[in-house]
Amino acid sequence: MRHDLELKLQAWLDGELPEREARRMGQWITRDADAAALLAQLRSVKEALPGNETARAVPDSREFYWSQIQRRIQRETLSSRPARLPWFARWQGYLLPLTGVAAVACALMAMVWHAAPPTFDEISATTDGMEAVTFHDQSGQMTVVWLQENSPPAAPAPPAQKTGGTTQETGDSDVEME
Amino acid sequence: MEPYTPALGEAELVKLAQKGNMAAFEELVARHRDKIYARAYSMVRHEDEALDLSQDAWVKGWQRLAQFQGDASFVTWMTRIVINLCLDQLRRQKRQRAESIEAMAEETGGVERQMPVVTPNPTEGLERQELRRRIDRALAQLSYEHRTVLVLHEFEELEYKEIARRMQCSIGTVMSRLFYARRRMALLLAGLKRENLE
Repeated sequence: MRHDLELKLQAWLDGELPEREARRMGQWITRDADAAALLAQLRSVKEALPGNETARAVPDSREFYWSQIQRRIQRETLSSRPARLPWFARWQGYLLPLTGVAAVACALMAMVWHAAPPTFDEISATTDGMEAVTFHDQSGQMTVVWLQENSPPAAPAPPAQKTGGTTQETGDSDVEME
Repeated sequence: MEPYTPALGEAELVKLAQKGNMAAFEELVARHRDKIYARAYSMVRHEDEALDLSQDAWVKGWQRLAQFQGDASFVTWMTRIVINLCLDQLRRQKRQRAESIEAMAEETGGVERQMPVVTPNPTEGLERQELRRRIDRALAQLSYEHRTVLVLHEFEELEYKEIARRMQCSIGTVMSRLFYARRRMALLLAGLKRENLE
């Protein structure tokens, strides 16, 4: 008998053939004595095995058997947990990114500080016989006022202009600290 | 202290175990340990290995308890786990052992292919206890491929497709292995019967 037919015969016995093919196979088995004999042999084994498996008991006591399982469970649980790091190593995880962010922030601030152009406000006013020049340095928090006579040197100089805060007379110029 | 559980039903025990109750799980192990061990033994035919694999199965069962939905019974679910572990173990062993002519013959049927159909029913007239003993002896003489396919088909009642999936082979291979396994089994049982009569 061809091997593919033998396997089909077995599939028929196990109920694994489609209905149409199973019908054809059934008809063939009734006509073919070899097929019927083979089927009987396969069936005898198929029917003998279920329910006739030898029962086996664990050779260890309940307590011993369970203690081994419990130990394995505990071991597996421990090995699956991440290892506990020392405190400084755990803090490193937080501190490193924070330090980085702080450093970048400082660098940016320094860049802004140094890149900002110094603001100079210079005002010049001229009246008859006198010129006043005010220089204000915001970054230095300083205001300097120059008073200059345009008239002949014999005429006395007018008093220094006060723009608020303390005024220091420094010869021709007054320095006001804000 | 975990509650005492022996009086509880299986479903309650499983629910408790799923919540992490070890005492409930221990009770489940106590109830089904023989069946799980017996299935492992039927596949590997080695006491220590079967013991080890059955315990591995319980550990896996504990770890995967959350996945148990109750579609099948708990013991069926555990049996599937131990079967998979046995199949992995047998595959590892097969890779380790050298391919021999005998092993190749097992795949294709070997001498059984040439043998005529023997006594139609080699188990006829045997006492149940005697039949069990003979079946066990005959199973021990099969190659692991033939024994596994018989165990999965006849004892676990798995279909060809499911066996193929678990054994990682084609359905055709399953059919062929099952066919030769049955024929060899018939020969062994018949031989054992004759041996007994003599």
